[in-house]
Amino acid sequence: MSIKSYSRARAVHAMLVYTGGCNGCDIEIVNTVLSPKFDIEQYKIFLTWNPREADVLIVTGPVTKHNEKPLKEIYDAIPEPKAVIAAGACALMGGVYKNIHGDIPSEEIAGPVEEVIPVDAKVPGCAVRPQDVLAGAVAALPKLLGAK
Amino acid sequence: MDKNDKAKRQEVIETEVTMGTVHPAALEPYRVRLFVEDEIVRDAEITVGLNHRGIERIMEGLPVEKANSLTEKICGICSNSHIWNSVMVAEKGLEIEIPERASYIRIIMGELERLHSHLLYLAHGNEVLGHETFAMRLFFIRETVMELLRMIGGNRVQYGCSIIGGVRPRCELDLMRIQKLNEGMDIIEEKIGQFADRFVSDPIVMSRITGVGVLTKKDALRLAATGPTLRSTGVDMDLRRDMEIYDPFDFDIITQQDGDVKANLLMRVLEIPESIKIIRQAVKNIPSGPITDRSWEMQDTGIIKSYIEVPRGKLLHSYALEEGRVRGSIVRTPSITNIAAMQHACIGNHISDAQLAIVQCDPCFTCTDRAIKITKIEI
Amino acid sequence: MEASTIIYSTAAVIGTLIVALFVGLWLPGIERKFIHARIQQRVGPPLSSPGFMAPLKFFFKETIVPNSPLPRLYNALPLIGLLSVFFILLFLIPQMYFLGALTSLMAIIGLLKIEELVYVFMGSLSNSIMSLSMPFPDVVKGAKHPNVPKAFLENLSAMRAFRLIAFGSFPLYIAILVPAVMTGSIFLNDIVNYQQVNGPVLFTLAGTLGAVVFFIGYMILLNEYPFAILKTKADVIEGPYMEYASKYRAYVYITRGFLMFTLGALFSVLFLGLPPNILSWSILINIAVAVIFPIFMAVFSAFSPIFTFKQFYPVVTGISLLGVLAMVVAFF
Repeated sequence: MSIKSYSRARAVHAMLVYTGGCNGCDIEIVNTVLSPKFDIEQYKIFLTWNPREADVLIVTGPVTKHNEKPLKEIYDAIPEPKAVIAAGACALMGGVYKNIHGDIPSEEIAGPVEEVIPVDAKVPGCAVRPQDVLAGAVAALPKLLGAK
Repeated sequence: MDKNDKAKRQEVIETEVTMGTVHPAALEPYRVRLFVEDEIVRDAEITVGLNHRGIERIMEGLPVEKANSLTEKICGICSNSHIWNSVMVAEKGLEIEIPERASYIRIIMGELERLHSHLLYLAHGNEVLGHETFAMRLFFIRETVMELLRMIGGNRVQYGCSIIGGVRPRCELDLMRIQKLNEGMDIIEEKIGQFADRFVSDPIVMSRITGVGVLTKKDALRLAATGPTLRSTGVDMDLRRDMEIYDPFDFDIITQQDGDVKANLLMRVLEIPESIKIIRQAVKNIPSGPITDRSWEMQDTGIIKSYIEVPRGKLLHSYALEEGRVRGSIVRTPSITNIAAMQHACIGNHISDAQLAIVQCDPCFTCTDRAIKITKIEI
Repeated sequence: MEASTIIYSTAAVIGTLIVALFVGLWLPGIERKFIHARIQQRVGPPLSSPGFMAPLKFFFKETIVPNSPLPRLYNALPLIGLLSVFFILLFLIPQMYFLGALTSLMAIIGLLKIEELVYVFMGSLSNSIMSLSMPFPDVVKGAKHPNVPKAFLENLSAMRAFRLIAFGSFPLYIAILVPAVMTGSIFLNDIVNYQQVNGPVLFTLAGTLGAVVFFIGYMILLNEYPFAILKTKADVIEGPYMEYASKYRAYVYITRGFLMFTLGALFSVLFLGLPPNILSWSILINIAVAVIFPIFMAVFSAFSPIFTFKQFYPVVTGISLLGVLAMVVAFF
């Protein structure tokens, strides 16, 4: 492993953007995965709130119309290489908010996340389980490590 | 002119500082505009509605069972309260008597949720305060509650416990679960006691939170604050006292006098033992028998309203039933008035304290933002 | 001067600087892993991650143009900070004492001022996406006060940095002057020589008081948690550093570790009389001081919330008074 990918694997800065939804995934990620019980820091993942510092963008929620532009801007602000993890059913496919209409398109939801920004790893669940978030972060790593 | 014949100082608003829509203080999308003079907030404006999914419109015309489980998705913190109240609306309209054991299990779930919500609030409050250690300790205590909730509900966030006529069969409390509940309550009681001692005796934390974000009793009543936010100003109002389902239980309603961040944080710290008390009584006295009554029949009803006390205050769910489908659903969550009150409470504080003052009411923007637009529904 | 002396001196200076840089890189990890994580009852990150691997990783990231009115100046600022810290350490090394006035306390205080002043520029030059320029669909159009000038969050922290320059660094400077008062000279050479004759300043009453004051000043200068009003997460997110990315952020990381070591070395010069010198065993004491200070600091920061100015003023005033007391004691 070259020093480049080694250093990237040893310090991953993750940023969370919450774009609507029910708040469940969001709390599971920020308040549970970082809590002493799961402690994502022992897997070398650090939480940051600054897109300039981040490597990994974790997006939760179905991306409401009001949040579409901020999400894009934050994604653009992250310097390469970067990876995006979509966490939770809402982020993957709009969740109950988008799909329950059937044929009627929702006016409120711009998501799922894939339609707004490119997604590299997907974490299913409603709400996501903390263990799955860790697995999702690992799944996003190869993209980070292999980048130039 | 004042009584003291002193000219009132002219308040000059120098700059506007904007926080949001993505900001670490409250993770949810919202925007707060602070109009500051030399880092002191002179006026504030909180914009909600960025998280609007139109969930009441989605509920329109759905079969009532489906709509009930959809209400759970209004909020990821008080999900159980939403489904509980939504089910209670249908039960009120259809005049269903639920089995006593079911109501006990619902109360256990409700109080466990209050525990987890309050612990989350305390932890988040400490995080905004900048005290990472306290936050981590509280998150650690919260995990015990989350494990219990997962054990009963099968999921860490969306439990789906209540259904019309009782509770779901998977939420049955067998002996093993009862034992684990008892053990969990012991752990939480011990740990929260230790935390409370440390918290109250920490002079730096106390100096940081005393007298910050004061909401007077008059303002709280005028701005219709509810729940712990109202009780922290000295108003003794708790809907749990009026709910029939809580009649067999003996618990105290905590009030504080100051209405500042300290009062709010202490409110939650003191309410946690009360919830533990309720859960202990429920577990001890839980009657045997069925947990679901399936013998009810669907019929059309008028608009029915139901109020319950949830961790944040007073929650209204209301809808009419027509051929088994939901019509004209309205949800009113406590956070909307509490946030309005906080807009008032953060005036006069330092900017760092302003976020703390907003967080003190336990704002849940997800709860709030589902109901912004849909005010007129023709039934 | 003989050629061998020059070679030895140069080697000593370069060696010391490299050791300082290397030790400085591990300090954030020690702080995070052994103190914060232990107190919070969790495992915590590996030792190398926060201080060593993180800056290394940032060197391999894409260089972007920051959102700033003067992007190149903004990007140059962390280097200026790093250089000023570098020069402080350089002047502390005994082989450099022939430089005279540059190795006096005044020069060191001046260089520390640069380090503080850099934050003001950083804050006022950064226009992050996370503050005012965050796109917001303003459906309502308007506010309670429509014609008020709008400020970025970083401008707020620039204002705070300005205030800190005015009063926040009093404790550190007073503490630095305590040994000078005792020795009767502001030249590092004299201070070191005095202590080699009379024993370390630390073990006198004035020196002990001064060390306490120095420690608080150290925390304020490093913007560590209770005194981190410059970069509180709850309102200004990251403050002046918001727009740094890639290698410029790496410089910010390195500067912090380097500054920790340098201030530790400054302490051992002023209060123990042991200048950092790779050619003598006393460098181990320098390293020990540089490691112990962040550990103390981490313990303090783990147990206290962020101070707003309401708590900040009394603490700084009290500690400064203690420093003045130490100086008065030192006169006698």
